[in-house]
Amino acid sequence: MSLKSSFAKFAGKSSYWFLHTFRSGGSSFPGKITTKIDPDILKSLGKDYDVIVITGTNGKTLTTALTVKVLRQKYEHVLTNPTGSNMEQGIVTTFLTDHKTKNGKNLAILEVDEANVIKVTKYIKPLAFVFTNIFRDQMDRYGEIYTTYQKILDGVALAPEATIIANGDMPIFNSKKLPNPIIYYGFNDRPDGELRAHYNTDGVLCPVCQHIIHYKFITYSNQGKYYCPNCGWHRPELRYQVTALSKLTPNNSKFFIDGSNFNIHIGGLYNIYNALAAYSVGKFMGVSTSAIQKALNDPDERVFGRQEQINVDGKEVTIVLVKNPVGLNQVIDMVGTETEPFSFVGLLNANYADGLDTSWIWDGNFEKLTTMNIKQYVTGGERYKDITFRLKVAGVQDNQLETYNNLKDAVANIKNLPTKRVYVFATYTAMLQLRKQLATDGYIKEGIA
Amino acid sequence: MAYELNVAHLYGDLLNTYGDNGNLLALGYYAKQMGVELKTTVISLDDKFDPSDWDIVFFGGGQDFEQSIVSKDIQNKKEDLTSYIEDGGPMLAICGGYQLLGHYYIGADGEKIKGISALDHYTLSQDNNRFIGDIVIKNPDSGDEYHGFENHNGMTFLGEGEKPLGIVEEGHGNNDKDNSEGVVYKNVYGSYFHGPILTRNGNLAKKILLTALKRKYPDADLSKQEALEIQPTF
Repeated sequence: MSLKSSFAKFAGKSSYWFLHTFRSGGSSFPGKITTKIDPDILKSLGKDYDVIVITGTNGKTLTTALTVKVLRQKYEHVLTNPTGSNMEQGIVTTFLTDHKTKNGKNLAILEVDEANVIKVTKYIKPLAFVFTNIFRDQMDRYGEIYTTYQKILDGVALAPEATIIANGDMPIFNSKKLPNPIIYYGFNDRPDGELRAHYNTDGVLCPVCQHIIHYKFITYSNQGKYYCPNCGWHRPELRYQVTALSKLTPNNSKFFIDGSNFNIHIGGLYNIYNALAAYSVGKFMGVSTSAIQKALNDPDERVFGRQEQINVDGKEVTIVLVKNPVGLNQVIDMVGTETEPFSFVGLLNANYADGLDTSWIWDGNFEKLTTMNIKQYVTGGERYKDITFRLKVAGVQDNQLETYNNLKDAVANIKNLPTKRVYVFATYTAMLQLRKQLATDGYIKEGIA
Repeated sequence: MAYELNVAHLYGDLLNTYGDNGNLLALGYYAKQMGVELKTTVISLDDKFDPSDWDIVFFGGGQDFEQSIVSKDIQNKKEDLTSYIEDGGPMLAICGGYQLLGHYYIGADGEKIKGISALDHYTLSQDNNRFIGDIVIKNPDSGDEYHGFENHNGMTFLGEGEKPLGIVEEGHGNNDKDNSEGVVYKNVYGSYFHGPILTRNGNLAKKILLTALKRKYPDADLSKQEALEIQPTF
């Protein structure tokens, strides 16, 4: 290692120690200092690791968490980056602060932001990439789905030998010829029919002949067993597949992959895709099916802000993070599996981390809520007017709807809601504010769970 | 319901970014309050657009790839769309839809993408810049104020017979040079507002619905519909 790299590492580690000893936090700043001194630091930091990069629009965090659990069944030490540190500097900090084993290769499972894949592959040649999905997301910051995918591919082009483990149900992942070996995973749990995606769906043009694609079945959004009726282009062969769904509730899912039964302690069909991705990586790395079953069945770990459950004076409050239309529709479907009556709270902010533009709520199928057993609706957040009007247009009656322009009152009102179960949909900064208010009121501990 | 209006959602399966569909939801919401039922049909690639079938046309915006495909297909609908517009048919066109009604626009990669020249504007692109943020405009003739969010790379310049939808009070508008935003030509409204425009500007939704009703039911007494008061939602 060069003197410059050693000094850069020392500076980064010192700042990390300082920030963690005297402040709570510091996942990006040490990486910033380190890369400032030695821009190529990832090369020396990553050289003793086998790296697996997980990227895509939705599901990165949970897929990463599940994949780490699966691989810990076989590997003594697995490095991963904490939530929210999926850009270059956070990744540098992650390597910087690892206590790696002395002997042999270490394993790193990294969640990487789509545009940052190239910043990693410039220095590290991963063993594998996992592509979860690409959806329309916060379009005031990101580009189009095609440009997002191209950004990922620009990074992958620097590692043509790495295996790609991709969601085979997502048409875009079968749209470009790549030199890399590719393994596809997907769903094969239902009989064939003849369908087209809902008209308000992205990415439904055949990349070969530009006709609208059709489906034998759709799991959600534009994913499923797709084919082009015009030119015959179709879903690739799947290596790993969900073969049946047996039980879906808001906090539990039971299903079969390649004929073996699995159980995860989290709801939502989209999370079964995440579990399937983790399974596929596990298989790719030689973890046994029974070890993967055991890892995924482990209930102890909740992922920050994703279906977190909090007790507020006897109410079972579940907080769900929402940030883009496809994710929103998936959690609407997820609460639709609730069997008890419940209350719905929608908290909308439009800060940078939420997306400055609130228009995405109009692509969400809030109309579906009105078919559920919802006793009371509550709206709040800095953009409470937008979410309130959205619910009204969806058909929510005025006498069922309460609006709060501050979170303190919204939280105070939770104990007066008419149901034991409460689902809170919140955008990122609204969720942070809500957690802070819940901490101030003594319902949870301060800080990140 | 006493009245029924048929809405053509032009390329609704390809051009639907930024909550465009919310415009149809808002239109339906206010229509219901007017005793009007909306029937919406997506008119897409290879479909025929027959001007006599439709009372309202909605034309949204999309990603570059989808817009370039639409640009080719819409040439086959050019004459029918032009006659619908010239005949006073009400239409709302957002972003890409607005651009494609004009002569052409320049895509993000510099490619010239053909419109249908039904309206006399054209659209250039900016280098590595987008107009993004909250926007407020005011229509000098009606005094109507519109609130929204804009997010576009295109810079549109209006031509013969075109008036802006409003004068920019806050934000960028059509091109950030002449203070104009959007277009009004006959009963066509074009705009760069996303958000979507009709969810925050119910009065524009009302205007479009009333125009369509008067056109389809010339002898009906629409005083109740005209009296509908729309509460601000922003």
